[in-house]
Amino acid sequence: MYLQILKKDLRRKKTMNMILLIFIILAATFIACSANNMLSVTTALDSFFEKAEVPDYWFCTTGKKEVEKYEHLAKENQYDFCQQEFIQIDPKNVKVNPGKREGREFQYSKSVCMSQLKDSTKLFDKNDKVIEEVKKGEIYLTADLFRNSPDHFKIGDEITITNGGKTRTFHIKGGMKDAMFGSSMLGMTKFLVSGEDYRYFNDENVSKFYSVMTYTEDGKFLERFNKLELNLFFSVNRSGLQTIYIMDMVTAAVMLVVSICLILISMVILRFTINFTMSEEFREIGVMKAIGICNPKIRGLYITKYFAVSVVGGITGFFLSIPFGKLLLQNLSQNIILPDSSNYFINLVCAFSVVVIVLLFCYFCTGKIKRFSPIDAIRNGENGERYSRKGIIHLNKSRFPAVLFLACNDILSNIRRFAAMLVIFTLGILLIIIPINTINTLKSDKLLSWFSMAESDHVISVEQLFDTNCNNRAFVEDTLEEVKGKLSDKGIKADVFQEIMFRTNISYKGKRMSSLSTQGAGGVTTDMYTYLEGSAPQNNNEVGISHIVSDTVGAKIGDTVTIRNGETERQYMVTAIYQTMNNMGEGIRFYQGEDLDYTYAAGSFGIQVKYTDNPDKKELEERKEMLKDFFPDDKVFTPGEYIGYMIGGDVVTKIQDIKHLILAVILCINTLVTVLMVKSFLTKEKGEIAMLKALGFQNSSLVVWQALRIGLILFFATILAALLSTPLSQVSIGPVFRIMGAQNITFEIIPLEVYVLYPVIVLCVTVLAGAMTATQIRKISASEASRGE
Amino acid sequence: MKTILEVKNLCKTYIINKRQNNVLKNVNFTITDGEMVAVMGPSGSGKSTLLYTVSGMDKITAGDVYFQEKNIAKLSAKELAGIRLDEMGFVFQQMYMLKNLSVLDNIILPACQSKRNTASRKEKVQFGQDLMRKLGIIEIADNDINEVSGGQLQRACICRSMVNHPKIIFADEPTGALNRTSSEEVMEELAKINKEGTTVMLVTHDIKVAAKCTRVLYIVDGNIKGEYNLNRYNSLAELRERERSLNNWLMEMGW
Repeated sequence: MYLQILKKDLRRKKTMNMILLIFIILAATFIACSANNMLSVTTALDSFFEKAEVPDYWFCTTGKKEVEKYEHLAKENQYDFCQQEFIQIDPKNVKVNPGKREGREFQYSKSVCMSQLKDSTKLFDKNDKVIEEVKKGEIYLTADLFRNSPDHFKIGDEITITNGGKTRTFHIKGGMKDAMFGSSMLGMTKFLVSGEDYRYFNDENVSKFYSVMTYTEDGKFLERFNKLELNLFFSVNRSGLQTIYIMDMVTAAVMLVVSICLILISMVILRFTINFTMSEEFREIGVMKAIGICNPKIRGLYITKYFAVSVVGGITGFFLSIPFGKLLLQNLSQNIILPDSSNYFINLVCAFSVVVIVLLFCYFCTGKIKRFSPIDAIRNGENGERYSRKGIIHLNKSRFPAVLFLACNDILSNIRRFAAMLVIFTLGILLIIIPINTINTLKSDKLLSWFSMAESDHVISVEQLFDTNCNNRAFVEDTLEEVKGKLSDKGIKADVFQEIMFRTNISYKGKRMSSLSTQGAGGVTTDMYTYLEGSAPQNNNEVGISHIVSDTVGAKIGDTVTIRNGETERQYMVTAIYQTMNNMGEGIRFYQGEDLDYTYAAGSFGIQVKYTDNPDKKELEERKEMLKDFFPDDKVFTPGEYIGYMIGGDVVTKIQDIKHLILAVILCINTLVTVLMVKSFLTKEKGEIAMLKALGFQNSSLVVWQALRIGLILFFATILAALLSTPLSQVSIGPVFRIMGAQNITFEIIPLEVYVLYPVIVLCVTVLAGAMTATQIRKISASEASRGE
Repeated sequence: MKTILEVKNLCKTYIINKRQNNVLKNVNFTITDGEMVAVMGPSGSGKSTLLYTVSGMDKITAGDVYFQEKNIAKLSAKELAGIRLDEMGFVFQQMYMLKNLSVLDNIILPACQSKRNTASRKEKVQFGQDLMRKLGIIEIADNDINEVSGGQLQRACICRSMVNHPKIIFADEPTGALNRTSSEEVMEELAKINKEGTTVMLVTHDIKVAAKCTRVLYIVDGNIKGEYNLNRYNSLAELRERERSLNNWLMEMGW
């Protein structure tokens, strides 16, 4: 008997049972894959660093003497350390597939270094296997360069390197996952060659730098290390090194937000569906009670049914979660090794949890059975709803057309019924808005000031690699004059300038740190930069410091700090605090007139061009092409493009890929949710629809009524998402920018794109899905109005 | 008098589990303007099906139904909806109304949807209120539909059926769910509406209800077996006599 009722129920309420099953499958899939992905993403860097044996402290210097100074300290304190030598290579001396038809220049203009396996941290190939050997003539590139370079490298491609008058051709063996040099944020890429090849290039004439890695848990290490006041061009501790991967973590953060939203969506869907399907059962519950079946037996019947459906859904969801999870993760960074995600125990636990959640929901929903008398269940609870109040708007006072009024009134008079949809749509729109805001911020010109650069119209990628033996100042001045002269010859007036970075040490009241400093060379003044507090340095003895430097040494505006540049140590007054995402937030800005020792110049940003004759957009495009003609060996960027190039252009591409994936996922979710919900509504509102048809409402009007409800919910969801997007962007993505040193973040919001374009795409697809489903109204005959609801 | 509804060889067949069920078999009858016609017959004889097919709510298997000389068997779903909205009114046994609307809003809903009804929203509301006043339910205008009695709700349904000034009202057992007092009140209202010129066709099991009509069609097994004319009685005052004579006729028909 029990089984008979169950079988008949499953067959008779096929539509609702199918809807429930599909939603359970969806929930199990989302929850299982999201939980697994969350675990992978949050533990990824730690596990990668552990595998790669990344040191606790790492610094790089060009001076052998500096290394010797450190060796003395390390031996004295018994620090475990190792050093590795790197050869610096000019990217212009690298050719790809030379002599072949597809031969070309190397499309990379940042620093390139070459090393061998000896004394290296562990490096991994694309299959996450440790690289044990590099044969003569083979070369590995960092995974980021191999995968994302405009050179589109393939295994087997040839690379010819010329350095110090020697040339050798290599065959690319593949990309390597390198914890130290893997992130594009480092501004340097690494070639790994065999020991023999390395020795071939290594002689006294080539530029080299030394990487020193220390493994220690000594709390006083940093204090002792800073006291050495070494001239370093890079130093970082292990947690600092993690922040270099911040851009990879931006994509991970986006993935985390997606996962959390998908879990929330699943929960909302489950609750809605179970409540909805249970409410359909109330009349039957009443009849069963009336004929004397006791409460526990009735409850047991439904729990058995939901158990069967949820087990099928849970198992199906578990299997679907595996490929879906992989699909979501495949866009995450391929620079790092993700923890082994083929352990599907989490997926299994999550799928099982979904079954338990369904049964718990069902248990609590069926709790109402006890409270209802048979007649209550038959009469009032035929749909589980009680009508405590009518709509809050009135047709007789409204000017809305009837159909629009009905749609609005339905939502307003039964908000709970549409709440699930509102939450799902809001989360969906948020999932789209947050990555778009992030992308637009990363692409915006405002990032130029976040990198402590002055505003300009174009940037030429002529980054200087300074040699300690040359007259660097004259070299910079000559280069800037050359650019200005070329522009002037064409009758174009422009300020031409460049940010020069210096290796400096700053100290204040006994606290000291080494930090890169910047000074504008050429036609730029300190008042052209943006500061958080205070005013631009106006004299030679004034500086601005970044808030990270300010926090580290404890100096505030008005304080006098000591800064050492090479052999010179001077006192400076702090006049401004600024934010910079350069060098992980560490920075000091000197007045343009201050005479700094260019022997200790560490490098520069590109040459910036700011036109003084206010050219329009079209003219700017033409001038960009002209600059390209002037400097055929270099790249010419707009400020936004340059920032993308600096932080690793692939980050924007990566998030853009994720954005497209999210958009596709959201459109699928919305379509599915809309189709299933509209189907549920049609089942439930069959009587009302038949009555409206009997009254003379056309099918098209009724379809519009159903679609309008979806459209209105989506409209409200867009407003809600728009309101929530800024605080949620700050909460989810803001910390990433903050880690990089940007304290005061205002996201670049393009209203037309964020609040109009994408919501309209989602609206069109969702409403279309709703309208298409609602066309089933045609199957409901007006005469069904006589057969009861 | 002008014919408002003419039914010729109407057939309606349902196919349930691959079995053909001929509910209506070559039904023929006409209704003239201003008539009040009751359809009676045993359960399952096809009364309601007849009402729904001639009103365009259900599809016709064969035959023709001319409503104001238009063959509704040949009309599209859209055209049929238009006719139902503007030229027909419906009253069901169950008092179907939208649960989220007040009684007055439910009544004026068809008027607000009608494109042919060119009155302003204010005028439509006014007319809805006039109808409610006429049927004695104006005090429940702003009430929720679960706050009123079945009789009041059925009268509200009659108001709704009248709101677009229909040519004909179809009522499917309009008093079937009401007690005797409410039932009499509702029938009085329908009779009044008919007296004012609106044609009424209703299905009923109740002799007292049918006795208020001008003509009674008796249907058995999907065929009109006979019809009884009550026009010879001039007024409703002779109700008892009408009921008795109708009862006798129905007995002859096998009721």
